Amino acid sequence: MNAAEKSNGMAATYVVYVVILAQAVFQVVFAFEMGPSLVLMMMIGVLQGSLAVLYFMHLGQERPSLVLALIPYTIFVLFMLNMIWSDSFRLLHMRPH
Amino acid sequence: MSQANLAVDPHAPGVMEERPFAIPSSKLVMWLFIISDAVTFGAILFAYGYVRNASPDWPTPFEGPSIWNTLLMTFILVTSSLTVLIAVKAAQDEDRARAFRWTILTAVLGVMFTALHLREWMDLIGKGVRTFQNPWGAPMFGATFFSITGLHMAHVIGGVIALIAVGLIYKAGRYSAKHIEVLSLYWHFVDLVWMFVVPLVYLMNMKR
Amino acid sequence: MSQEAAIAHHGPPTSFLRKHVFSVDHKVIGKQYFALAIVAVFIGMILSWLMRFHLVWPNAALPGLQWLSKVGAPAGVMTPEYYLSLLTMHGTLMVFFVLTNAPFAAFGNYFLPIQIGAEDMAFPRFNMMSFWTTFAAFVVLMAAFFVPDGPPISGWTAYAPLSAVGSDAGPGQGLGQTLWGLSIAIFCIASLLGSLNFISTTLDLRAKGMTLMRMPVSTWAWFITSCIALLAFAVLLPACLLLVLDRIAGTSFFIPAGLVISDRLQPHSGGSPLLWQHLFWFFGHPEVYIAILPAMGIVSHILINSMRRPLLSHKVVIGSMMAIGFLSYMVWGHHMFVSGMNPFSALVFSFPTLVITIPATVLTLIWLGSLYGSRLQITTASLFSLGFISMFVSGGVSGFFLAQPSIDIYLHATYFVVGHFHLVMGVAAIFGIFAATYFWFPKMSGRMMNETLGKIHFWFTFVGAYCIFMPFHYLGLAGNVRRTSSFVYDYAQPLIPVHKFITIAALCTGAVQFIFLINLLYSRFKGAPAPDNPWNATSLEWTVPSPPPWNNFGGKHPVVYHDPYQYGVEGASGDFIMQNSPEKVPVRS
Repeated sequence: MNAAEKSNGMAATYVVYVVILAQAVFQVVFAFEMGPSLVLMMMIGVLQGSLAVLYFMHLGQERPSLVLALIPYTIFVLFMLNMIWSDSFRLLHMRPH
Repeated sequence: MSQANLAVDPHAPGVMEERPFAIPSSKLVMWLFIISDAVTFGAILFAYGYVRNASPDWPTPFEGPSIWNTLLMTFILVTSSLTVLIAVKAAQDEDRARAFRWTILTAVLGVMFTALHLREWMDLIGKGVRTFQNPWGAPMFGATFFSITGLHMAHVIGGVIALIAVGLIYKAGRYSAKHIEVLSLYWHFVDLVWMFVVPLVYLMNMKR
Repeated sequence: MSQEAAIAHHGPPTSFLRKHVFSVDHKVIGKQYFALAIVAVFIGMILSWLMRFHLVWPNAALPGLQWLSKVGAPAGVMTPEYYLSLLTMHGTLMVFFVLTNAPFAAFGNYFLPIQIGAEDMAFPRFNMMSFWTTFAAFVVLMAAFFVPDGPPISGWTAYAPLSAVGSDAGPGQGLGQTLWGLSIAIFCIASLLGSLNFISTTLDLRAKGMTLMRMPVSTWAWFITSCIALLAFAVLLPACLLLVLDRIAGTSFFIPAGLVISDRLQPHSGGSPLLWQHLFWFFGHPEVYIAILPAMGIVSHILINSMRRPLLSHKVVIGSMMAIGFLSYMVWGHHMFVSGMNPFSALVFSFPTLVITIPATVLTLIWLGSLYGSRLQITTASLFSLGFISMFVSGGVSGFFLAQPSIDIYLHATYFVVGHFHLVMGVAAIFGIFAATYFWFPKMSGRMMNETLGKIHFWFTFVGAYCIFMPFHYLGLAGNVRRTSSFVYDYAQPLIPVHKFITIAALCTGAVQFIFLINLLYSRFKGAPAPDNPWNATSLEWTVPSPPPWNNFGGKHPVVYHDPYQYGVEGASGDFIMQNSPEKVPVRS
């Protein structure tokens, strides 16, 4: 509660709203023009997500300890899941044809 | 969240230890739920990537109208994030009627999103996409599409129900601004997941 | 929190339903979890008896077994498939409903709020929902016994594609396996609710003076466990949902193309059984620590009390438990060395698996180092705590072998692994549960348990558990494969006497558990009345009456002045100083 109360006014929120939508449009236009690049798409997604977490969910205004408790743990777990890729790429070549 | 009556604060000085994060327990629980749910969505997206990597004939069927529809859905969902923020702001300013209006508007946007999504589902089903087959290639396309967007849609529908319920109880005066704020976190999270579903499920599968 | 408001406005619940069934009181919910775990553990144990009996007397009829399943056990002799059904149910019941529920959900629910000086959990109604969701998962799982084909045969790991293709894969793989998937998905939700409650309670509802480092080790263990469970079950949930989709919606996430089962080409393609194993074990390995960490905390808590002195280092114990929790996410691949996983990944997983033994060893050395030279009071609880250490070390040492892919490839599909995980995860955690029960029963029921019966129970269980699980290692080294109901190969014939020994040991050790059950029930109603602090312990749960009133501290907020374990303080008025005693601790010179 206290965190959101600190945010007087919604000006930053509107700016972020426009920026997130602009990113979404850019993402689509880029995908149409150049073909979807996974790396770029994910970078835009992460950027949009970070903006949403920081300015819509006001995580940036909470205590840093909350950010440190939540975000690195989540990223670590999602990062560990990446160990599955080596098997999925191998499956393509092992595929019986 | 499901609790009423927050008049008594046991965290008055000298009664209990300070909360380490200086946020209400319900907000902490919502954040914990969000990271847990983020991992759930992460795992199902990883499963999608795994299956997709392993399929040589993955179809890329989404054409212009489909993608523009997705962009419209993004617009609606991000806008609903904005409206729920306005509701939170109004609730913090003790303007109950205004907060209720914007909460319900958010729920309406959620319903619109779901309607557009269902229309797209119906369109794909009409084209012959099933969880076990589709006219274009790897049969797992439909399975991953329906399971990921279905899980997301379930979250949207749950959020709409929660928005209406919390909005009504708030209007009746039994919930405080905190409840709207905590629920808004969930709603933003649904929005956040969509920001990853769009590039991974739609844009990566567009016709080239 | 809001329950305080509720307490301020309402009295304690009066109706029977509100008081004992749909109670929001964390103590009642803890007891409900405990009761559920007791039911599950005895069902699971009887299933293991049936399996052991069938292994060594394959043709002997067990009168009455046909009532359980006419198809699975015609005339009382179980079919090989039904053996696998019982194996699946034994594993699922034990891992989810006993090892996860009893040390974590049951004792955690009961004692975590009291140990930190709270009146209840942060969200009492969530807490109630969490138990009833678990109960629903239990009912759905048990329902698998009563469907025509019987329970699934794919083991508690539900390896795909066996678990994913449907009834072609054998009896029980129809509706039974679907029920299994739904049950575990429901269990994931229950576990999520529980973890949320545990974490927020620990962080937000601590009494004045109860800083994080002043929390008892057991509270820390429950807290760390709930942090692991929060994200580990989050991966199992989608895995189970996708498995159910594979079964009922025709998807093939876990089923490869061209699979022929029961002479039928499966109408699936595009999936991978390895994906299931990855998702399952990504949860499955943290789950091992969800089972063992609370037992570690409980055992530390009890040993400190029995030794009458603190552990060598409170901080290192907590740090080691955190390190175990952190590393538990990095090692899941060591369950998959023989799955056809990328051999390079096997190397990557092997390293953190060996690293995770470091914090485990640190913990063990701290226990042993603290025990060295202490005048340990021999109670049943402290005996079971010593038993825990013994089982943890014996089972843990074989982990060194299994962590290395080259050795594991030989041992993985054998009884060696059965011996390993039963000792280190199963029996060790069960010993933790026993220790907790004997230690906290006076607080939970207001009556003492019978120590003589308890010690008899301990010695028979301790010796019995070794008689059962140590020979498994030799069987495994001799190449005896697991998950089979008979010994058809010549090389296995000389091993049958060992199996007979194990079966007899299992039957006897299992029978001894009824001493525990009788002790529990007898003491509940006829035991000697327990004082508030029968063990002269220091933590907050011993400052309240036995059993505690419905709001724990009688509407007052305790104030904490000390570290949790002020035993044998020189210059103090007594042998120990309670955490909430305002007495000053003399500075040690």
